[in-house]
Amino acid sequence: MNELINENTNDITSEKFSEVIGVENLIKTYANGAIEVQALKGINLTIRQGEFVAIMGTSGSGKSTLMNILGCLDKPTDGEYRLTGINIKEKSDDELSYIRNQQIGFVFQSFNLIPRTSALKNVELPMVYGKVAAEKRRTRALELLESVGLGQRYEHMPNELSGGQRQRVAIARALANDPPIILADEPTGNLDSRSSVEIMEIFTQLNREKGNTVIIVTHEPDIAEFTDRVVVFKDGQIIEDKLTEKGRASGKEVYKCFL
Amino acid sequence: MLLIENIKLAVNAIRINKMRSFLTMLGIIIGISSVIAISSIGASAQKAVEEQFNGVGAGYVYLMPNWYELDYMTSDMMFTMDDIEALRERFADDIEYSAPYAYNSCETKVGRTDATLTLIGVNAHYNEFATQIQIAYGRMVNERDVEGSLNSIVIPIEAAKRLYGKENAVGETIPATAFGSSADFNIVGVYEIPPSIFNSLDTSTRYTCYVPYSSVMRSDEYFDNLELYVKADKDVAQTAATICRYLERTKRLDENTYMYQSAEDQLVMINQVLGYLSLAIGAIAAISLLVGGIGIMNIMLVSVTERTREIGIRKSLGARTKDILTQFLIEAMILAIIGGIIGTGLGIGIAALGTTVAGTPLALNMQTIFMAVAFSAGVGLCFGFLPARKAAKLNPIEALRYE
Repeated sequence: MNELINENTNDITSEKFSEVIGVENLIKTYANGAIEVQALKGINLTIRQGEFVAIMGTSGSGKSTLMNILGCLDKPTDGEYRLTGINIKEKSDDELSYIRNQQIGFVFQSFNLIPRTSALKNVELPMVYGKVAAEKRRTRALELLESVGLGQRYEHMPNELSGGQRQRVAIARALANDPPIILADEPTGNLDSRSSVEIMEIFTQLNREKGNTVIIVTHEPDIAEFTDRVVVFKDGQIIEDKLTEKGRASGKEVYKCFL
Repeated sequence: MLLIENIKLAVNAIRINKMRSFLTMLGIIIGISSVIAISSIGASAQKAVEEQFNGVGAGYVYLMPNWYELDYMTSDMMFTMDDIEALRERFADDIEYSAPYAYNSCETKVGRTDATLTLIGVNAHYNEFATQIQIAYGRMVNERDVEGSLNSIVIPIEAAKRLYGKENAVGETIPATAFGSSADFNIVGVYEIPPSIFNSLDTSTRYTCYVPYSSVMRSDEYFDNLELYVKADKDVAQTAATICRYLERTKRLDENTYMYQSAEDQLVMINQVLGYLSLAIGAIAAISLLVGGIGIMNIMLVSVTERTREIGIRKSLGARTKDILTQFLIEAMILAIIGGIIGTGLGIGIAALGTTVAGTPLALNMQTIFMAVAFSAGVGLCFGFLPARKAAKLNPIEALRYE
C-alpha cells in the first residue's frame, strides 16, 4: 500500500515539494557472529519538506536502525539513501560529519547534553563545528534558548535543569545551524506527561511556523498523535504509512496525495 | 578558530578534575623540576668554578717534572732559584711573576686558641695576579719581605677574627714553624676571599696564609714545583711549553722532563667533568619524564573511556575525526605543558635554594628551561596520541549508547 502512496506523491508533488529524505530498497544487516541479522529488509520511504512524521514500532522493529541511517550515523548495507538530494553512500566519515552538522538537528531520549558544560555552550557546540564566529555563535545560541523559554537559564549546567528543560536545551542545540531536518529519537521517553506535551508543542510549532521537517521516533501512540503522518515498523519492514487526524486537518499541500 | 575552542575545552576539562589533573602532571612536574634544578645547579657550579679560576688568574701556570713519563727522579731535575733567575731574564717579556711553589703546614696557638696554618710561600705582588686575594687591612708580601727573608705573614680575616677577636690584626705576631723551628711571624696584612661554593662549605680551622717564599725555603734548596703567571697578551699554553723546553735544554735534560698545568686546562677539565655529571643526572631525570608521559597516557585513556558518550554526542553534532583527535591531543599537551611550567618554577626554586646554601649566584640556563617546556609538550603530544586516536576512532552510534 505504502509503495502506491509513494508513487503517487512522486507524481503529484515532486516539483512543488522537494524531497528531503529519499530511501529506496534500503537494507541493513548486522553480522552477529556467524548469524546475519537483517534489521531493515528493503525499506522505501519518501519524506518531503515540511512534513511532521512519527516513526513507530516496538523495540527491535528496526526503527532505531533506520533512525541511525537517516541521521547519517550509520551507513546502509544496500539500497539508496538521499538526504536533501545528497547520496549518502558515497560520502566519507568526515563528509558525513559535515552533513550531520549542517542538515540534521538531533534530539535524543536521554538529552545527551555535554555534562558540566553550560546550556549556552551546549547550544553553541554545533556552531563551533560549523565554524561560526564566536560572537555570532553566542548571539544565536541566546536567541534559541530564549525561543525555547530558557533565556534566563543559559548559564545553568545540565544537572541544574529539569528533564523538560534539558530537552528544551537539546532542541535549541538541534536548531543551532538551522538544519532543514529535526530528527528526534524518543524525545519524550524520559519525561513526565506534562513535559512531554510541552516538548511536542515545541516540535509542532517548529514544523508549523518555521517549516522544519520533523521526524520523531516513538513507541507511544499519544506522542504520535501530535504528528501529521505515522510510519509503523515491524520486523524491519514498514507495515503502515498513514496520515493522522491532525495531518488531515492541517490542510498542508504536501499531504494532498494522501487524501 | 577550533584551536582556541579546543584549548578552552582542555582547560575546562583539567579544571573540572583538579586533583586528577594534578596527579597526572606530577610525573612531568618531578621530571622537569629535576632536570631544571640539576642543570641550573650544574650551571651555577660551573660558573662558580670559572670565577674561582678567574680569581686564581687566567695566566696561572704550574710547572713540574713530568711524573706520568719519568721512571726515576734525580736531583738535577728539581728546580733551583738559579732556574727562576734564568727564566726571569730570558722570558722577561712573557712572564710577570715567578716563584717556587713552597708551602709548609704548622700548628699555632694564640692565647688559648689553636689553629692550623698552611703557609704558602709567594713572591711579591702575588695578589695582583691571584685576584681572589683581597687585602682588607695592611698589605701583601712585598719585595723587601722576600729579599730579607722576613717573617712577614698575611692571614685570612676569619683567622684574625678567631685568634684575635678583631678583623684588623695587623701588627700582631703569630707563632709558626719555619725551617723546623718555631718563630714569630709579624702579621703585615689581613685578606679576604669573596664567598664561593668552595670556601663557604669550608668551616675548618685550617687557614691559608701567605708568607715570603724565602722564609719557608732556603735559597739553595731544591724544589719540585714552580708557579708562573704569563702576561695577559701572551698565549698561556705556548709560553708554558716554551719554558718547559727551555729549562730542559739549559739543564741538559731529556725532552718532556717537565710538564705544566695551566688554570685554563684545569678549568676545561673540571667543566668537562661537571658537564658529564649533569648529563648523567639529566638522563636519569629524563626517565622520570618518560614515566610522567606514561602517566598522562594512562589518565587520558581513562578520560576517553569516561567521556565516550560525550565523544558520541560531539560526533553526532558534526565533529570530524580530526576535531576529536585535536581536542584530546591538546588536552594531553596542555596537561604536560602546565606540568612543565610548574616543574620549571619548582626546579628554579630548588636550584635557587641549593645555590643559596652553597653561596653562589644562581645561573639559569634559559636554553634548558625552554627545552624542558618544549619537551614536556612533546611528551604530551607523543603519549596523548594513542588515547586521542582511540577517541577519534570511536563509532558514534556505539559511543552514544555507551553507559
